[in-house]
Amino acid sequence: MSEYTVVGQKLPRVDAVEKVTGAAQYGADVHPAGMLYGKIVRSKHAHANIISIDTSEAEKLPGVRAIITQDDVPSGRRVFATDKVLYLGEPLAAVAATDPDIAAEAAELINIEYEVLPVVQDVMEAIKPSAPHIQGDETKDGPKRRDISAKIKELAADQDNDHAAEIQKLEAELNNYDDEIYHNISAESHTEAGDVEKGFAESDIVVEDTYVIPRVHQTYMEPHVSVASADSSGKITVWASTQGPFAIRSGIAGTLGIPLTQINVIGTTMGGGFGGRFGVIITHVPAVLLSQKAGRPVRVQMTREEEFLDGRPAPGCVIKLKTGATKDGQILARQALAFWDSGSVSGASIGSTIRVRGVYKIPNIKIDAYGVHTNKSGTAAYRAPGAPQAIFAGEAQLDDIAEQIGMDPVKFRLMNMREEGDEVPAGGSEPKVGYKETLEAVADAAGWWDREADDNQGWGVAVGDWTNGCGPGGVYVSVHEDGSARIFHGSMDITGTDTAITQIIAEILTVPYDSVTIRRGDTDSAPYSTGSGGSVVTFTMGNTAKLAAEDAHKRILELAAERLNTNEDNLELKDGAIHVITADPPKSISLGELAAYSLSTTGGPIVGKGSFARQSSTPALAAQIAKVEVDPETGRTRILKLVASQDVGFAINPMAVEGQIEGGTVQGYAWAMMEEMQYNDNGNVNPGFVDYRVPTSADLPTVESVIVEVPAPNGPYGAKGVGEPPITPTLATMSNAVKDAIGVRISELPIKPEKVVDALKNNGHGA
Amino acid sequence: MKNFEFYEPTTLAEASQLFAQEHTQLLAGGTDIVIEMKAYTESPQSVVSLQKIPGLSGITCDADNSITIGAMTNVREVELSQHIQEHHTALAEGASEIGSVQIRNLATVGGNIAHASPAADTVAGLLVADAQVQIVGSDGERSVPINELFTGPGQTVLKPGEIITQFTLPSPASGSHYIKHKIREVMDLAFIGVASSINLEDDTITDAKIGLAAVAPTPIRATEAEELLKGKSITPELIGQAGEAAAAATSPISDLRCSAEHRKEMVDVLTQRTLQYALERARS
Repeated sequence: MSEYTVVGQKLPRVDAVEKVTGAAQYGADVHPAGMLYGKIVRSKHAHANIISIDTSEAEKLPGVRAIITQDDVPSGRRVFATDKVLYLGEPLAAVAATDPDIAAEAAELINIEYEVLPVVQDVMEAIKPSAPHIQGDETKDGPKRRDISAKIKELAADQDNDHAAEIQKLEAELNNYDDEIYHNISAESHTEAGDVEKGFAESDIVVEDTYVIPRVHQTYMEPHVSVASADSSGKITVWASTQGPFAIRSGIAGTLGIPLTQINVIGTTMGGGFGGRFGVIITHVPAVLLSQKAGRPVRVQMTREEEFLDGRPAPGCVIKLKTGATKDGQILARQALAFWDSGSVSGASIGSTIRVRGVYKIPNIKIDAYGVHTNKSGTAAYRAPGAPQAIFAGEAQLDDIAEQIGMDPVKFRLMNMREEGDEVPAGGSEPKVGYKETLEAVADAAGWWDREADDNQGWGVAVGDWTNGCGPGGVYVSVHEDGSARIFHGSMDITGTDTAITQIIAEILTVPYDSVTIRRGDTDSAPYSTGSGGSVVTFTMGNTAKLAAEDAHKRILELAAERLNTNEDNLELKDGAIHVITADPPKSISLGELAAYSLSTTGGPIVGKGSFARQSSTPALAAQIAKVEVDPETGRTRILKLVASQDVGFAINPMAVEGQIEGGTVQGYAWAMMEEMQYNDNGNVNPGFVDYRVPTSADLPTVESVIVEVPAPNGPYGAKGVGEPPITPTLATMSNAVKDAIGVRISELPIKPEKVVDALKNNGHGA
Repeated sequence: MKNFEFYEPTTLAEASQLFAQEHTQLLAGGTDIVIEMKAYTESPQSVVSLQKIPGLSGITCDADNSITIGAMTNVREVELSQHIQEHHTALAEGASEIGSVQIRNLATVGGNIAHASPAADTVAGLLVADAQVQIVGSDGERSVPINELFTGPGQTVLKPGEIITQFTLPSPASGSHYIKHKIREVMDLAFIGVASSINLEDDTITDAKIGLAAVAPTPIRATEAEELLKGKSITPELIGQAGEAAAAATSPISDLRCSAEHRKEMVDVLTQRTLQYALERARS
């Protein structure tokens, strides 16, 4: 029996009624008087020089109230392309008009003259010298060239000896690796621990493969939207559909050179984010610029097509991975060379390549990762950014080793998993973790140990690890004279976080869950809050809420001690009333009575304040097992069973946690089996839900969720972030299950029917 | 979408006259045209609704089991019709593959055919049913066999002002089946669609029809494969040969959905499967 009464309970969400009835206000529901409709003018080519932009015809169209280009950005920060476009759909200008059709027509009337340039979309082509150069001509060295250059540098630094001959030899050797001079590199990241060459040499089995993971979109239901209104004093209000209103405020201030206090961002109810709803310039900045120029409120709302062309999806990548192990199942070395498709910007989660190390004891690792420019839009976060890609490679290869050794994939993983105190490859030592418990839980729940499979059926297992982030936050809680309480804060609700915060406050104030209400303020009114991404909200705002409730609790006891003529040590807050523990007969005062009393005395309103900075969390594991059936003739795969366990630390609301596990697992399934943004020299060719397939409920069985609770010492009640981990293993889970069914590894996702048919043919299994 | 004139005529003659004007589109269920207009890929000056014209929807079955389907009959009705399910199973199965239930409640079989997508889900079933397409225009009525209706992607033999009014399906085959090759279980477009129908007498095939979608610029019949089957008793070898012959009849393209080679291979596989199912239905 739990010691808690509100946390740990499957309680309905605080926003359930407004969501179900349609009362919730989304960005597109905002319609201030006089509002204009904005439309962004986008590049019609994937790579081209801009010769000229002529807005004169559009300006003449009746109903057009403002047209902006990069010339209208006072700070000069890049909002619109000027001399060159890098991808299909890149913004070049924006218009505001009295009607969306007029705005669309005006956008078409803006005459842009292009000089079309050669295009490169494939990362392995983009790194070659023959590829068109997208941004700059700088090159970077690959792993072998880096090693040789390091040796040369080391020898040259040795003043005491003459290494001229050796250096000359090494310099000659460099020329053997001309194919390791990479072009179009946007970023690089290198990590090494131990000696991989030695590890491979000592291994009985070495497996190497190349894993290709496609670029996928977050496909949140609500497209990007913002409504901006600049008043005559220069004050700007932005209704923004975003995961982080405070980040949007500082982003707009920085981009446009406006003081923070001149900007108020009102976060509207979010129709999903998954990491993709932090962008400042996608719609918010154009809306502000248009409103400033037109002197009227302006809405800029993306279509679904625009989402695909100019959203910030998850990067695709190519990972070459090599693993060595002994024949009795000990992993000795793992080396990765990864190329992440960062599109037109830099970054693209390349640091996440380290996650190929998984949760295993691996004494020798080496990771070389590169971000590569292509003619695509930039990328951003998507639920555990970079982890599903890297973990797919790591966990798929692990199964291939287990098969070669002849070990059960679950036993092989359990044997190599780290525990508390074990060294994390290139990363310190492990705190208390629940890796083995979580894997064992899913294996037991799925019936792994006595699993059966008919012809063309297979079972797959994989695990993924992730640690939630943390950020600053502030919460106020007020206790009212009727005994109810109200929470005030500034963080965006993301799939039930407001509910978790409410449960925590109700728990500490010992009042019924439904007597506590929660309100989100805008950036003008609410205390600062970190953005709702990185699985931070329940961890950060849960801790903040706890501090606020404890602060109120303290004040309640002070006031009650005065009222009841005793000292605080004799008091207990329980069931919404303050009791004198020592009194006989019992003596108490209800919270409402106390709140009313303190309003009419010197006490004042009961207000608790929570202000929280940062604490570190501990790693969470998600472990999954799938059973599939593959039709070898058509290549279609049906998933028959999907079981997902996750170490959540402590489930503040187990129903919401199960929802997160189900949602993340389904997104992982989709990435493995069907989702893929496709490109050719013209740009993205499937910018819509006809040819960018997300699964429906008909594609999957009910996800069976298993909650494991190994508490995080710094989490509220031990809770860890739950949003991101469940997507991390599913790509590998599916690939491993398909391999078990057909005997062939599909290492290039998604596992489309055609790939299965071809793979079977190429391996002599085909009809 | 851009502004347009909207007409709701109550007679076919009036509708035909309006539709004969340039830059005019017909509105049946609206599940294609409305989306195209919202995306500005179609911006007609006039839209002529067929929804107020009486007598264009409904399914009737005569004593000899020949069936007529009004062009404005919604796809959901085709999917659920006892007559269609019993006598033209492949057509009912094809109808059940279109979009979602909500879409099928709006979309019409006439619209699905007149839109002339090579991947339309009702077309393979209508091909193996040997449907006749009834057409009304300013020159009066005419009838075109469904396999002569299409001339290219989005193109038909319909002349300006001509409107499809109904489909007539002669006495049915004894068994038919449709399979759509797709990735997603529901609400996907056909990578290819295959329908087969078989007439059986004493285990000899007296007639066979194979209709193929999304494997050529228009939906097609695999007539050589059909000829192979006629007059013979079914064997696994014969079904295999029919599959190969059907694949040979196609001229698919490679596109973002899959390669031409995969489409050909799947025509072979799914022709065999649909024949097998059609055969089982014919025998039962």
